[in-house]
Amino acid sequence: MADIRPFCMPKWGIEMTEGTVAEWMVAEGEAFHKGQTICLIETAKITNDVDAEFDAVLARILVPAGSDPAPVGALIGVFAEPGTDSAAIDAFIANFKPADTAVAAKGAGEKAKPATPAPAPAAATPRKIITNRPISPEALKLAEQADVDLAGIEGSGRGGRITYQDVDQARRPAARGPLRGTVPVEPESAVFASPLARRIAALHGVDLAGLSGTGARGRISKADVLALVPAPAPAAGGAIAAPFVPVDNRPTVVPFDRIRKVVAQRLTEAKQQIPHVYLRVSARADELAAMRKTANLILGCKASINDYVIKAAAMALARHPDVNVQVHGQEIHRFPHADIAIAVASPKGLVTPIVRQADRMRIDQIAGATRALIDKAAAGRLGFEDMDGGTFSVSNLGMMEIEDFAAIINPPQGAILAVGGITRQPVETAEGGIAFESRIAMTLSVDHRAIDGAAGAAFLATLKSLIEAPEGLFA
Amino acid sequence: MAKMMYREAVVSTIAAEMERDPSVVVLGEDVVGGMGTAGGPEAIGGIWSTSTGLFGKFGKDRVIDTPISESAIMGAAAGLALAGKRPIAELMFADFIGVSLDQIWNQIGKFRYMFGGKSKCPAVIRMAYGAGFNAAAQHSQSVHQILTGMPGLKVVMPSTPADVAGLLRQAIRDDDPVIFLEHKALYATSGEVPDGEHLVPFGHARIARAGEDVTIVATGMLLGFCEAVADKLAGEGIGCDVIDLRTTSPLDEEAILDSVEVTGRLVVVDEAPPRCGLATDICSLVANKAFASLKAPPQPVTPPHTPIPFAREMESAYLPSADKIEAAVRKLLDWR
Repeated sequence: MADIRPFCMPKWGIEMTEGTVAEWMVAEGEAFHKGQTICLIETAKITNDVDAEFDAVLARILVPAGSDPAPVGALIGVFAEPGTDSAAIDAFIANFKPADTAVAAKGAGEKAKPATPAPAPAAATPRKIITNRPISPEALKLAEQADVDLAGIEGSGRGGRITYQDVDQARRPAARGPLRGTVPVEPESAVFASPLARRIAALHGVDLAGLSGTGARGRISKADVLALVPAPAPAAGGAIAAPFVPVDNRPTVVPFDRIRKVVAQRLTEAKQQIPHVYLRVSARADELAAMRKTANLILGCKASINDYVIKAAAMALARHPDVNVQVHGQEIHRFPHADIAIAVASPKGLVTPIVRQADRMRIDQIAGATRALIDKAAAGRLGFEDMDGGTFSVSNLGMMEIEDFAAIINPPQGAILAVGGITRQPVETAEGGIAFESRIAMTLSVDHRAIDGAAGAAFLATLKSLIEAPEGLFA
Repeated sequence: MAKMMYREAVVSTIAAEMERDPSVVVLGEDVVGGMGTAGGPEAIGGIWSTSTGLFGKFGKDRVIDTPISESAIMGAAAGLALAGKRPIAELMFADFIGVSLDQIWNQIGKFRYMFGGKSKCPAVIRMAYGAGFNAAAQHSQSVHQILTGMPGLKVVMPSTPADVAGLLRQAIRDDDPVIFLEHKALYATSGEVPDGEHLVPFGHARIARAGEDVTIVATGMLLGFCEAVADKLAGEGIGCDVIDLRTTSPLDEEAILDSVEVTGRLVVVDEAPPRCGLATDICSLVANKAFASLKAPPQPVTPPHTPIPFAREMESAYLPSADKIEAAVRKLLDWR
């Protein structure tokens, strides 16, 4: 038996369910050496090289570059010894069964390891349910897993037997969409047309009387009516009294790409499921702006205002660990150090790479880290280790002239700070006059399940004092 | 265990029950098989050879040749059953049910209910149904969808000799009227039949193949196709849960729903026309009570809504086949 090895779609993290082969660096039938890059694989957020762990031949490519995404664990290629005959490889492919991808599939060159694996929420042990009511096996399994009380369920099966659907319905929150009421039904006139055709005819003033349609038994359809709608005549030039004629306003359809799908799904879940509470504050930024010039000169770095805000937020978080949290199911995970995710608009979409332990970094180190992450994001080369985890997020739209906004929490993090731009504001001076100062507005969104308003306010007070007295940032 | 044909299972079960219970009688056209011919009784055998030897064993009082009048046969069966006998009435071709529908539908099926349970009507009505023999539109139909829709009747559709024995014995002993449908294409098929008083209760489906990817529900002759498809697809790692309903009334809802709760996919194969039929009924049951489990729309596989064609090529194009069932399974597996 020749040594034939599967090459499966690797799993780079808990949330990765599928990947796309962006490029094969080795051609089918070509030999490669240990350490050589075999292919590039893209997930929703990252692109990674897959490097060979041994010498072999890429005997077969099953997922060509640019194909649709393949699920984690799916066979994407086959490695073999040189000279392995093709029939043996065909047989290997035919008999291949993907491993259970619930455990992380071993990629050919799995080098992207999450830097700080987020602890998975401990699954509650299923409660054993003893019942003498008739219930299907799957329904009982679900009831035990989801801890559903059977007492409140009326079985819809024969003789009151409980089905999976009954249990599934019982565990869902009550729902009732908005009602739209009834609409009057028009009497059938002499015209035989579909309701939609009637509606379109009324809209365009088409008379359907005497018309014979192309539908079944001469029924007038939507297409028949649209065929009679005159194309809008070109507007008569210069006639002031010419009526306004609307032009065709057809949209360009842009389907969601993968990254937008992921972002859309996660943000929707976050906004729907997390009880957000918003705390707004503004801080005087004149001292910070002045300090930044001096400090950047001394440290020889180009730290932005945002870098200073990250530093301030990280220090405040270290002093308020009850805000430096992740929320996992029924648990709050408090972290001693602040891993701050920064929202970056990249060509591929919104990404949130992480500055790790920002509270322990000097401002020049933070500036270096954010610069590296932003460059990587722009090149679409952010790796899983750049994005995994995070205890807090900072989203800054100041450079876009936004004064103040509120951001959506990035689960499992407990809070996000939305930072606006620096604006000149009139303030009352001690003498009762008016002076202008630079102010920066910030809104903290917190997950109210885990963080109380008072805790968020205490954190903001510290943050505000650090920005207004920035020498504290170098303590 | 004894190996026997489907038709032999019919005769041997009737004979055994007639031995056991003197109230069991058989009536129908030519059940004696040759009465009035030169050869005499049993010389020719009934049209399906499903009463061979009964006349010799039990005589003319218990094996009764009738005139060619389905109304009379069913009317007589109704009266016999009300008067305490357990008649087994043979209708020959299921397609002839029309002229006896009043006796079956309005009388036999409703006596027990309308007499407030003070009377019962334990008649068994046997008929041969099904297509595949180029017997054309009046001798090939599957009538179970009409009869299943009639409250008061139990409807049985065995697919194996063992089930013929078990279900027919249950039908004869049952105190309610039972329609016993035998598929013409199965009469000559063989299988092992358990010895002794083998009984199969009504409303308990048979799991012909177990799998976790797709549920296939069928009756009668169609089981053979479904099993062949399941065995073929098993080679690709696709698991088909093949359910032989055995009885369409009562219906084993639990077997269907439990299976779909696991597989999330349903194919129902039926030989009757598509409208208002068994396939739509089961698709609707699943859509109603297993919506949460479905990964793809329930998929009926039935003939088109036309009479059954006579021409060989047209009939095979008309009927459900292994290829059509396989295509339906693949469609569901590829559903996104």
